Amino acid sequence: MSSDHPVVDEPPVLPQGDSIVAGRPFFSRPVGKIFIIWFLMTAVGVLIGIFAPHHLMPTFLSHEGTDVWRTMVLFTILAAPVAAVVYAVAAYSLIGWRHRGNQDDPPEDGPPLRGNSTVTAVWLATSSVLVLVLLAWGLTVYSAEEVSHPGTLQVDVTGQQWLWTFTYPGTGVETRSLVLPINRPVQFNVTSVDVTHGFWPAALGVQVDANPGVTTVIRATPDKLGNFTVRCSQLCGLYHSFMYAPGSVVTSAGFSRWLRSEGASTTTGQATALVKKQ
Amino acid sequence: MAITTDPHDQGRVVEAVAGHHETREQRHFKEHLAVWLFISGDAVFLLMELFYWFYLRALNTDGMWRGVACSKANPCTDGLGNPITHEIAKSTPWYTVSIAVLVVVAAAVIWGVERSAQRQSKRSVISGGAGIGLAVLVAAIVVQCYQFGVLPFTTIDGTYASTFEFFMGSTLAHLFLLTFIVTGLWARAGRGRYDGGHWYQVRIIRIFSVWLATSTCILAIVMIAFS
Amino acid sequence: MTTDLAPLLLEDTPIGPTAGGLYRRQNVYTGLAAGIFLGFVAWLVAHALWNSSNWGTDMVVTVTMVGWVIGFNLGVGTFNAPLRWMLGHDQTYDDELYAAGVGQGKKRYYKFCTDHKVVGTQYLVLVVVLFAIGGTLAMMMRTQLISPHSSFLSPNSYNAIVSIHGMCMIIATIIMVTGPFTNFVMPIMIGAKDMAFPRLNAMSFWVVVSAIPPLLATFVLGGVDAGWTTYAPLSVQAPPAMDAFSITMIVFVISVTVSGVNTIVTIFTMRAKGMTLGRLPIFTWASLVGAALSIYAMPALLIAFTSMITDRVVGTSFFVAGQGGTGWLWENAFWIFGHPEVYIILIPPVGAMLEVASTFARKPLFGYKVTVAGFVAISALSIMVWAHHMFTTGWAPELAGPFMVTTEIISIPTGIIFLCLIGTLWKGRIWTRLPMYFVYLFLWNFIIGGVTGIYLSDTPADEYFHGDMFVTAHFHYTLLGGAMIAATAGLCYWFPKITGKMLNERIGKTAFWMIAVGIQVTYFGMFWEGFEGMPRRVAFYDPIFQHANDMATGGAYLLMLGWIVLLYAGINSLRQGPDAPANPWHSKTLEWKVPTPVPLANFLVDPVVTSDPYGYGEPEPVGPLVMPAPDPDRELVPNLSSDNPLVRGDD
Repeated sequence: MSSDHPVVDEPPVLPQGDSIVAGRPFFSRPVGKIFIIWFLMTAVGVLIGIFAPHHLMPTFLSHEGTDVWRTMVLFTILAAPVAAVVYAVAAYSLIGWRHRGNQDDPPEDGPPLRGNSTVTAVWLATSSVLVLVLLAWGLTVYSAEEVSHPGTLQVDVTGQQWLWTFTYPGTGVETRSLVLPINRPVQFNVTSVDVTHGFWPAALGVQVDANPGVTTVIRATPDKLGNFTVRCSQLCGLYHSFMYAPGSVVTSAGFSRWLRSEGASTTTGQATALVKKQ
Repeated sequence: MAITTDPHDQGRVVEAVAGHHETREQRHFKEHLAVWLFISGDAVFLLMELFYWFYLRALNTDGMWRGVACSKANPCTDGLGNPITHEIAKSTPWYTVSIAVLVVVAAAVIWGVERSAQRQSKRSVISGGAGIGLAVLVAAIVVQCYQFGVLPFTTIDGTYASTFEFFMGSTLAHLFLLTFIVTGLWARAGRGRYDGGHWYQVRIIRIFSVWLATSTCILAIVMIAFS
Repeated sequence: MTTDLAPLLLEDTPIGPTAGGLYRRQNVYTGLAAGIFLGFVAWLVAHALWNSSNWGTDMVVTVTMVGWVIGFNLGVGTFNAPLRWMLGHDQTYDDELYAAGVGQGKKRYYKFCTDHKVVGTQYLVLVVVLFAIGGTLAMMMRTQLISPHSSFLSPNSYNAIVSIHGMCMIIATIIMVTGPFTNFVMPIMIGAKDMAFPRLNAMSFWVVVSAIPPLLATFVLGGVDAGWTTYAPLSVQAPPAMDAFSITMIVFVISVTVSGVNTIVTIFTMRAKGMTLGRLPIFTWASLVGAALSIYAMPALLIAFTSMITDRVVGTSFFVAGQGGTGWLWENAFWIFGHPEVYIILIPPVGAMLEVASTFARKPLFGYKVTVAGFVAISALSIMVWAHHMFTTGWAPELAGPFMVTTEIISIPTGIIFLCLIGTLWKGRIWTRLPMYFVYLFLWNFIIGGVTGIYLSDTPADEYFHGDMFVTAHFHYTLLGGAMIAATAGLCYWFPKITGKMLNERIGKTAFWMIAVGIQVTYFGMFWEGFEGMPRRVAFYDPIFQHANDMATGGAYLLMLGWIVLLYAGINSLRQGPDAPANPWHSKTLEWKVPTPVPLANFLVDPVVTSDPYGYGEPEPVGPLVMPAPDPDRELVPNLSSDNPLVRGDD
């Protein structure tokens, strides 16, 4: 498309009293004032990033959950300066560039700044670098999750309208509560017998849908003792709100005891190893 | 400038667009662009149909694409746990092929009608051609409806059956649409609307018919070759 | 305009007493009557034929709804022209004048009227009604969530309300700018007399009107309990309401697709002389991009809902696992539509907002070409990101990485749009009238919405947040806080041109502050709920989420009041507001060069454009447009339709 105006590289028309020549202190120029606002807003954003996720999110009981928390902190800290640039310019525009006076008539026109290729290029480059950083982080965290480890505990999760059933293969144990031993990688094999549900042990920082006719897989490694709730994250009908199950991360000994109390049979490999630990 | 001969207008000189006379070329361009936009939307629909077919076929949930892997030795189960030990029969290709052929013929006939109109043939030639095209389309509809009755499976027999019948239904729906349009073509040709070299509307209809023939053939190939 | 031209204004053209034929007797009431009648007949027939078959009730409901849609459109006159065409007749010049509303006064707003300004106004009313319905449903939800175990709504009612709130709002936000403003303003903005296909334009409107009663009928057909996304297989098992819902969506697809084609053809073929693509106002570009995207996205929605109907009515097994189907197929088909759809919702309002920003900063749009490139890039990328809605479905773990990449990349062109916005504000002379207030609010809200979207695009983070209220807060910030606020900026901006009255700014600014604060309180409350781990679409929740819900509910009431006050401002201004001058904002786009109220043919003579509409701060060239002197011997008619050979005298 053609444009009738020589587009981008004309020097901007500067209004009076706004020289870029030495003599005017930085902080009394618009750029300086915007910088101050930007700095303060970034600081607030960084503080929010450091403190808010920690205070608002539940205590994570797994390695993956801690990764989620780290991701939130990192992303917020990285987002803060970017958001602050936009907010600072907007805020200053209302302070330093606002037309005060008769609001019925329009103010005089501003300078015809149709573009600035340097600013655009810098903006594009910065946002691309940021996106690359976020992607590198996210892909690394994600691929770590996809690795299966030896000695993984298998737990079969079955969702139905409207409850969760957890089966520990090889032990014959089938329960409504999810008990896991600490520091042992676990792989959840999840399916549904009716509609799609969402297996969501939030404190473990992972979730996967339970689909009828297929089994999906998600892995986590609990690394803190504690109780948590497994909720359903996919609307599944009338009592979706009530589809939750209790869960806890216990010591290995506690786990073996619990299995035995649930009536674990000791005939197969996984069960023997699990139950024998004292 | 155009002069209307409608008696209501009492011979007023009327411009199609004031001061900015919309030429025939401009109007043709609008209609041409519009039909191609509709075709692109329909092309997306076709691509989604192909996605349905190939995704379900690849996933083969519970072995129930055609149940090929199901046998007495290795039964599949339906949603209630009942064993399924048979494979769904494939549909015979002849109906699918004949429908595709009929739609191609209809498109060719309409192309012929466009040629006749461009060459300012007699009204009966144009109208006759349109009538033949209409008859071919109606035949295609009849065959398509008949095929529903002679299928060796029903929609509940797995995803091959479901997608196959969905493709048939989609073809039928598109055929109804084109038949409506070609009925108009035939009626208008009979009234002489395309006499005197006024053929552009026929071109638009031809473009859409050719698209429909193409998409019907693509669906037919998939239905036959990728069961 | 001189008084010499007054007698030549099209509104005064005398037309014959029988002009319009059947149209004379048709309006929304005949549409309603015919729709109810044909729906009833369809019900009788379907009931007789299929009630005892396996899927009888679903078939009956589907056929009844189809009967309603066809009947309503027959009754209101949508099919008159196509049927006449098919029979070989065409409309006469007088018929076309009648169809454009000549000689009918206010009644034309209740009829099938091909004047794009009437269609735009009709859409505006429809959008307000849809937001009122959707908003009421939202308030019912928030009221239920005042306490963890309220008895205000039953689980079934709540699920039904959640679903219809969602879909009603989605429909409303898809048409909230393309309906009123692309129709009313865009043709004038490009110097055209009307849209390329005025009859198709009216058809789009009445077709979408016919889609709404089935949506509302779902409440008495058992309720749709599967959310607005109606995931299968839950939706395959849903009550017959789901069939009505599916018909709504299929009919809506038809309307939006037709309207999209109309918009694209108009922009490419009806621009005034001198209006090159490089001089096109950014709102027109935004409308074009949104329309192109809808041609891609709507067919995907069409196949999703037709296959949903076949699964429910004739027993196909697309989504039934036991017979080879999978819920993943639904999710893929739905989100192939669903992600581009949010950009269809977002891009036209952003275009409108940029027009406002330029006008009220008294500066050219910063980076015009870059903005256009940004819109195009966003749309192109939006086609490749859909499975970020499916990160946690388990469908293809190996694809999570690629979709994470495409999704995060979309933030780059989105960021460019922000650069253009703040570049437009930079060193401007900010005129803080009401439309500009909403520009700033958009800016604040969309940063939050966009950044939280980036959090969700990170697959590991999404494994925590998917399906919880964080997601809900994110998309409300972007769709309501972003798109809807930008649309409101457009509404306040174009209100004088459309209604002929100035919008009361005092009441409007009160509404603004209530809305602005209401949004922050409501949706930060929801972010809080999401951080804590509260799932979406729940009628009852764990008491640990109580405080966050208090915040969200309180904010919601304030937000609701804000919208009501804004509605009041609009109605009050319509009744008693001061008359608006032709160009109250001293803006440079073409729609402000025509008088208010806008004449039927928009321009009495064709404009010839010599510059783009962003020449703030630059010396006027010859003038932003040149109006040739009118020739009083020529009768001035609009481009009513291209299908009438009697008018044109050729094909």
